[in-house]
Amino acid sequence: MAIKESISNIQSLDTPPQSRRTLVHIAQVILRDPLALLSTIIIIVFFFVAVFAYQLAPFPEQGAGKSNPATAMLDPSPEHPIGTDRLGRDMLSRIIIASRPALVVPIVVVFLAVIIGAPLGAIAGYKGGWLDEVIMRITDLFLAFPFLLLAMSIATALGRGLDKAAIALIVSWWPWYTRLTRSIAASLSQRYFVMAARSIGVRDSVIILRHILPNCISPILVQATIDLGLVILAMGGLAFLGLGTQPPAPDWGLMVSDGRTFIFKQWWLSTYPGLAIFIVVLAFNLLGDTLRDVFDPRQYR
Amino acid sequence: MLMNLQKAEYILRRLLTSVFVLLGLTVITFFIARVVPSNAAALYIGPKARPEDIERVTKLLGLDKPLPVQYLVYMRDVLKGDWGTSISSKRPVLQEIASRFPATFELLCTAMIIAVATGIVVGVISAQWQGKWLDILVRAASIVGVSVPAFWLGLLLQILFFRNLNILPLSGRVDSDLRFTHPIMVTTGIYLIDAIIHQNWVALKDVCLHMILPALTLAAYPASLIARMTRATMLEVQSQDYIRTARAYGLKESFIVYILALKNAISPTLTVIGLTLAYALTGSFFVEIVFNWPGLGMFTVRSLLNLDYPAIMGITLFGAIGYVLINLLVDIVQTWIDPRISLS
Amino acid sequence: MNNRWSIICIMMIFALILSACGGVKTTPQVSQETVSVEQSIEEEAANPTPAPADTPIPEGPRVLKVAATANITTWDPVKSFSTEALYMGNFYEGLIRINPPSASERFTPLLAEKWDVSEDGLVWTFYLREGVKFHDGELLTAEAVKKSIEAAKDHGGASFIWLPLGSIDVVDDLTVKFNLTYAAPLDLIAASLYGAWIVSPKALDAAAQDDQYFEAGIEAGTGPYMLESYEPDKEVLMTRFDDYWGGWDDVKHFDKVLITITPEAVQQQQMLESGEVDLALSIPLENMEQFKNKPGVTFYEEPSLYNYVGFFNTLRKPLDDPKVRKALSYAIPYNDIIKIGGQGYGIQSRGPVPAGVWPYSEEVPQYTYDLTKAKELLAEAGYPDGGFELTLTYAAENQAEERLAPLIKDSFAEIGVTVNIEAIQFNQQWEKAKADPANAQDIFLLLYWPTYSDAGTDNLYSMFHSSEVPFFNLSYWKDEEFDKKIDEAAALTVTDPKKSQQLYTEAMTRLVDQAPGFFLYDVTAVFTFPDYIKGYQYNMNYPFTTFFYPMYTE
Repeated sequence: MAIKESISNIQSLDTPPQSRRTLVHIAQVILRDPLALLSTIIIIVFFFVAVFAYQLAPFPEQGAGKSNPATAMLDPSPEHPIGTDRLGRDMLSRIIIASRPALVVPIVVVFLAVIIGAPLGAIAGYKGGWLDEVIMRITDLFLAFPFLLLAMSIATALGRGLDKAAIALIVSWWPWYTRLTRSIAASLSQRYFVMAARSIGVRDSVIILRHILPNCISPILVQATIDLGLVILAMGGLAFLGLGTQPPAPDWGLMVSDGRTFIFKQWWLSTYPGLAIFIVVLAFNLLGDTLRDVFDPRQYR
Repeated sequence: MLMNLQKAEYILRRLLTSVFVLLGLTVITFFIARVVPSNAAALYIGPKARPEDIERVTKLLGLDKPLPVQYLVYMRDVLKGDWGTSISSKRPVLQEIASRFPATFELLCTAMIIAVATGIVVGVISAQWQGKWLDILVRAASIVGVSVPAFWLGLLLQILFFRNLNILPLSGRVDSDLRFTHPIMVTTGIYLIDAIIHQNWVALKDVCLHMILPALTLAAYPASLIARMTRATMLEVQSQDYIRTARAYGLKESFIVYILALKNAISPTLTVIGLTLAYALTGSFFVEIVFNWPGLGMFTVRSLLNLDYPAIMGITLFGAIGYVLINLLVDIVQTWIDPRISLS
Repeated sequence: MNNRWSIICIMMIFALILSACGGVKTTPQVSQETVSVEQSIEEEAANPTPAPADTPIPEGPRVLKVAATANITTWDPVKSFSTEALYMGNFYEGLIRINPPSASERFTPLLAEKWDVSEDGLVWTFYLREGVKFHDGELLTAEAVKKSIEAAKDHGGASFIWLPLGSIDVVDDLTVKFNLTYAAPLDLIAASLYGAWIVSPKALDAAAQDDQYFEAGIEAGTGPYMLESYEPDKEVLMTRFDDYWGGWDDVKHFDKVLITITPEAVQQQQMLESGEVDLALSIPLENMEQFKNKPGVTFYEEPSLYNYVGFFNTLRKPLDDPKVRKALSYAIPYNDIIKIGGQGYGIQSRGPVPAGVWPYSEEVPQYTYDLTKAKELLAEAGYPDGGFELTLTYAAENQAEERLAPLIKDSFAEIGVTVNIEAIQFNQQWEKAKADPANAQDIFLLLYWPTYSDAGTDNLYSMFHSSEVPFFNLSYWKDEEFDKKIDEAAALTVTDPKKSQQLYTEAMTRLVDQAPGFFLYDVTAVFTFPDYIKGYQYNMNYPFTTFFYPMYTE
């Protein structure tokens, strides 16, 4: 009993910043910095649009893919502010509805990449030895490919589709989090509270779950925010090449690609979906930049 | 002396790891290719194939053997320089890659030269004018540069410079008239160099004009990253003791900036260049599609869409080998440039 | 921190500039009447197309520059069975060529000057042209013809077209006799798009030794053009064959033809508009309208061999019920499909035989778009509110199918039938369909064309005749009456064409009534030619080939 108490004392003395406190800290940073604030607002607006996409879109059914031959290829007008595509679907609605996969899928990708990558990194960093060696050499292998090239090959091998593109991105993305988590875990495993827990025979799995992983959360969170922009770009790129979302589902990258046919006359068909990608990525990059300046998850490397 | 021994050992170790990584790469590419959900033999023959033909080709391609055997055969062939035969063109994959590589290499190099030059210059200037409007402009531009999708930027540039201003060619590597009026003698396959060594100035001008838009599109991302990295390291270095000492001794400011500080800022910048090269390589795929550039990217995307799995394997392996070598090179160069890098 | 506001401002400006790039020069709102004039003016200003009156190159060789999608899957004229027909048709010649339906003569003699057929349709004799040279210097002989056709029958990509052929006799140096095992239209077969090229015997011998012989870029035909050089995926350069039997004197033919291989249609259009090429063989359909009234350009709309067919999986419920299939056939928005899928360039099909091809018949009925009737029929079949799901597959690389598949989905939704669209590479789509019919797709969209101009033995037989192993009969339909009728009709094609036509018409009528598939539209080929290129003749029977020899400039 007494020993356990003393351990918890040690722990409270030697605990790195806890996640909740970090979140508050992040919020403070964002509020103080106009650039981060603006990007956060943009991101919130996009999320708002995504959540209420079907309420906001003037023609929600067309946005989701329903054709309307009577209105094919209309120029911009008050009814269709950025015209209609070749199946007569309102482009504004298409862009609005497409914000859902455009935001949700990259978040899922990064989330799952973290879920796969972080525990492996924690084990490698904490245990060290041959296990560390094996895990890290495997990540080296994946990181030896240019990221998008690997994703493209995997997406093709799995067959085309949004879900397959997402899997491809996860498979080629998780090693980054393994690396990051490993370096954090390696430094944590030298800390008193971990050593103490180990010395009294707390099982490794418990240590990793209770002590190592929770303390990796905030740097990973920051890194994930920074990465989101990249993943959105990658998703757009895969869709542009025809390896992502398949028609008639709406997708920004796919819309840019479809609009290429009309680039010299109906330039708006590919310009606006591309602009949407650009703004979202810009917002995530700005926010990530600010967070990096303050926290720099790479300091552990 | 001791230093050199250490260096040699470090480089040797890096080489060994690279070999290990390359070996692993072949496993992954092989695995990816075998997951391709289609009858490769049927693809090979094309539409309207008869079942007996498919059987014949299955044997021919060795697809009837167990997977490990197929892998060993694949490895043996890869080492022999036989990377398989492209399904759609029926030509050796390695030959296909080799014939397209110069175009991509030329585009990549031009873009990287532009990116490194502008990135470093702009980064240094930005650091010197820290907080001034020039710095702000650079930082804004660099964030835009890493956020803009290459395929979209390319389209916008085409609209602007071809459709609206009509001052630059739309796409392609050279004008198609050129081969009849001033044909480029191909020595290296890199048109810029070929045109110069054969003193074909008309061709050179044409090649340059065609190069501008794709190279700029491709350079946007690496240039931005390099500018940011240069700026950050310059600021860091300038605040360090020896620079302040140099200032205190009254050394010329330009000497401090360009020789002392920049020299020390180069190492981290080099790392970024190595990193961005990978992005530029995949970025070049999009740029090649948009600008109809007859390089590896077009070949890659076509192979992906046609499920030309020997070609996909070949390209993935080729890209990965290139990437591993670049990283190796960067590491080795760094041990020379920056002796502070730990060799452990 | 203050700086950051400036960064925001500057970034806004960047974003504005970027997005404004596109917008500088557009007039979104132009009243309908002025559109054509305004557009053409705008185009003139926007596109640096050289004035059409200019000849492309003033001096040196006369070069025709072409952008085309056609890739080379093989240079072997015997094996060739794909898009390389564009090149093959200019390097090689067959014995005869079939003319477009509008021509007064049905065939043009090429390597054979004349030919005749025995009364029973079993023996065909071809009399060869004298003094024809192959590009490698060999002379055309009856022996060469025999060798070429035997190679094609033995291991050709389209070997099946020679199925009726029993043996070939060399009568003398310039006379060759084909003995058939059953009466078949050998003239049509000899004029085939594939598998009927006459190749130099020397090259055939070399290819017999080394089956990769041709792949280095070797050709050995008799045609007007020779292969000068080629770069895979990039370009093919043809140069004229000085000893061509047709001669080069009367008009200014092109000395060279440079074909830039350009897979993307939009890129082809851009190359045409920037003056990089004289001809673009496949411009996006959506943009063809722009060329309709463009000065200096001739716009062609011609019938083609292509048509779009959909197959219902007749092995699976509820599609095994003809009533359900009929109901669905009524629920297909044919006009919208032509308008969107074909961009207006098509006519609704009458069965699987495209208009203008034997044995097309005006008497074959068509379905109309009638949702009420569709609902009635569904109710009769026991599906009053639809309530079932269907999987539709189409070839992802086919733009028209990509446009029209959603229209079918949306229309079927109106009668309560859910369609799940699956876009996959054609080869995969086809593999899946053949592998396990019972678990395959419910609806298969297909772009079809006959290998040679007999849609009776090809379209009707290949797509709807029963067979043990599915090949192109992707409805998996087995109907004895239909089989009997077309078998009989095929046997009578040469000896009693009238009776044959009647049987075919009956068979097609039954086919449409039983609706194992649905028949969307016959594709209208559309393309443009600059007025400075003269002499072009469209020939629907050779959909992959553009013949460059008749073209000239003044």
